[in-house]
Amino acid sequence: MDMSDKDKLELDNKSEDCMNYHSSHLPSDWQYDSNNIANSSTRLIPNEHPMTVCRGGLSAPSCSSGSMANSFGPTVWQHSQPLGFNGIDVNNYASTSNPLGFSRGVPGSLRNVVEPGWEAASSVLKGGLFLPNVPGHSLSQFPADFSFIERAARFSSFSAGNFGDMLNYCGDHHSVRPHLRGGTVMQCPQEAFHGNVMKSVLDGQPQKDEITVAGMAMGATLLGGHGPTEWGPSKNEGSVERSQGVKMCGNESDEAEFSGGVGDQEEPSLMDTCREPSSAKGVCSKKRKKSGQGVESEQANGVQWPSDEAAKANSEIQHTGDQNPTSVANKTTGKPGNQSSKASDPPKEEYIHVRARRGQATNSHSLAERVRREKISERMKFLQDLVPGCSKVTGKAVMLDEIINYVQSLQRQVEFLSMKLAAVNPRLDFSIEELLAKDMFLARNGPSSTLGFSAHMPIAYPLLPPSQPPAIQPALPAIGISSDAMERNVTSHLTHLSSGYKEPTPQLPNVWEDELHNVVQMGFSASAPLSSQDINSGSLQSGHMKVEL
Amino acid sequence: MRSPSSLKKEFLTKWVVGLRAWSSSSKEMGLLERKKAIKLSADVAMAAATNGTTIWSHTLINNASKDPNSKHMVQSILTSARARDQSNEPSKFPLLSPPTRCARNRVRSKKVLRKARINYIQRCSRRSAASLIAKTLVKKRTQVLKGLVPGGECMDESCLIKETLDYMISLRAQVLIMQHIAKVMELFNSK
Repeated sequence: MDMSDKDKLELDNKSEDCMNYHSSHLPSDWQYDSNNIANSSTRLIPNEHPMTVCRGGLSAPSCSSGSMANSFGPTVWQHSQPLGFNGIDVNNYASTSNPLGFSRGVPGSLRNVVEPGWEAASSVLKGGLFLPNVPGHSLSQFPADFSFIERAARFSSFSAGNFGDMLNYCGDHHSVRPHLRGGTVMQCPQEAFHGNVMKSVLDGQPQKDEITVAGMAMGATLLGGHGPTEWGPSKNEGSVERSQGVKMCGNESDEAEFSGGVGDQEEPSLMDTCREPSSAKGVCSKKRKKSGQGVESEQANGVQWPSDEAAKANSEIQHTGDQNPTSVANKTTGKPGNQSSKASDPPKEEYIHVRARRGQATNSHSLAERVRREKISERMKFLQDLVPGCSKVTGKAVMLDEIINYVQSLQRQVEFLSMKLAAVNPRLDFSIEELLAKDMFLARNGPSSTLGFSAHMPIAYPLLPPSQPPAIQPALPAIGISSDAMERNVTSHLTHLSSGYKEPTPQLPNVWEDELHNVVQMGFSASAPLSSQDINSGSLQSGHMKVEL
Repeated sequence: MRSPSSLKKEFLTKWVVGLRAWSSSSKEMGLLERKKAIKLSADVAMAAATNGTTIWSHTLINNASKDPNSKHMVQSILTSARARDQSNEPSKFPLLSPPTRCARNRVRSKKVLRKARINYIQRCSRRSAASLIAKTLVKKRTQVLKGLVPGGECMDESCLIKETLDYMISLRAQVLIMQHIAKVMELFNSK
């Protein structure tokens, strides 16, 4: 309090001196300050203005020193780079209660000198109010200034419920600026609105317009309660244009803070509404890319990929400043690319790598591809059952490896066995009867064979003329007898079969014998052994269940 | 799916028929020739024993028919089979077109694949290296598998896997029967 009074006194004392001394300097300062005031839409700016004015005066005569003066210092000395300092200044200033009294004190002293170029300022000072009506000429060049930062600071602390205030605020601007057509925020349709946004931006409007319009756009989208598809494209366009504006005006940080703050609040509500942006976002991603924004690509490149929805606006903000929605921005850039590439896939599957844009045709391709992949994976599962030792294997490459090994091993086995058979049999005269005989011989050597018939068989078979189908008929009775014997053997071996069928066990030859029997007997339609055949085939089938598909 | 026992039965019959066709030629054959004959007849018999819907079986039979030595053996197998049951064999015969079609498709598809691959790499440069490596591995292995399965060159991936399934089953049945026969013969000869 003391300080403030002292400062006030100082300034009052020095103000006249300042004005007289630095009249030459003032106009530039005034100009700057008038710009500031024209920019500003806050209450604080008019309060701040006299500060800067006085500082202009103060600076010349080695001005000093009180804490207030020091705080004022930066704005004067570095008014060409107002960004950080102005913000600080504003914050400092806003925290104090001085400004109002101060401002009221100043105008009286300043009016004499300032009047010519300072109608707006004086009116601001008088009213101590926000003055929206500023001639457009002063707005032509908008260096980044404290007003944006101040607004950004306000918005960053904005809760979702305050959007109405923001909108009204912006609405004032909107009404003020004749070029910002489109009626009120809520009424105009989004497309027209954004058309205006883009128009205004493309006309080289000052940043302020851009920001406010963007803010209005966002607010409109939120409060209008539009569906996700509408929101997506409109927001994207707005953000696109905003980013263009950023590039044009170079006031990146301000805008970043602004839209960052807004976007952050928008996100939660939007996330609920739109889980699946679908093709609209894909379209958006295309548009964004087409606008040639290297900005977004830069951002997207160095990012993580969290889960889904995000305000697209944040993607531009990303590169300009560090924001809360860092991950959100990443989501944004990742998501549309993914969505556009595979419209039908759920987001969680595809967000990892796909950033390439695909057209509509590729959507159907991706669908077909998906179906194809499903088929392949299904068949791989079958193969997993077939190939021994592949139940634990996951992954296509390893499975294929195992399959290749297995097929190769089987083929080699066939080669080896054929070589063996060629070696064993010098004459290549295989006959069923011989094979049968040999099988039975083997069966007799099996665990529960009936050796009683063994003597008959070797005798019976050499008597038969080989490879004469009709000659087999006399052997049928012998075969029939043997098949009965086999039946008993087979039934005893059924348990062995049912236990499992992976490796050929010694019991299998008995089963094979019956198969051989079946082979012969089927040809000759012998009905007697059919029962045994059924048993055999049944047992075989139970054992072969795994092989069957 | 047909029962494996019936498959084996058919295989055995046909194999024996084929072998008999060889022996009827009454030529003195060396070990290797015999082995080749045995193997060929076994393969053809196995192919003939299937339902005739698979590509690999058709390829096998076609390749065997082209060889003049084995041609009549193949014929005998097929005719004997046809004599036995008229139902499924006729499907085997009109089979010569697929290989040529496959060759053309393969050449065409290779060009397409190369272009697609270049586009793919350019577009998906952001994609992780791991997935690219995995895809290359899978690609290489499918190539190897295509070489293994008869007639595999003409197939696409899903078809290839189906064919491999069928081929594997037939191969396994073939191996089992041959093992059995070999054991029988061995034991018998040793006695």
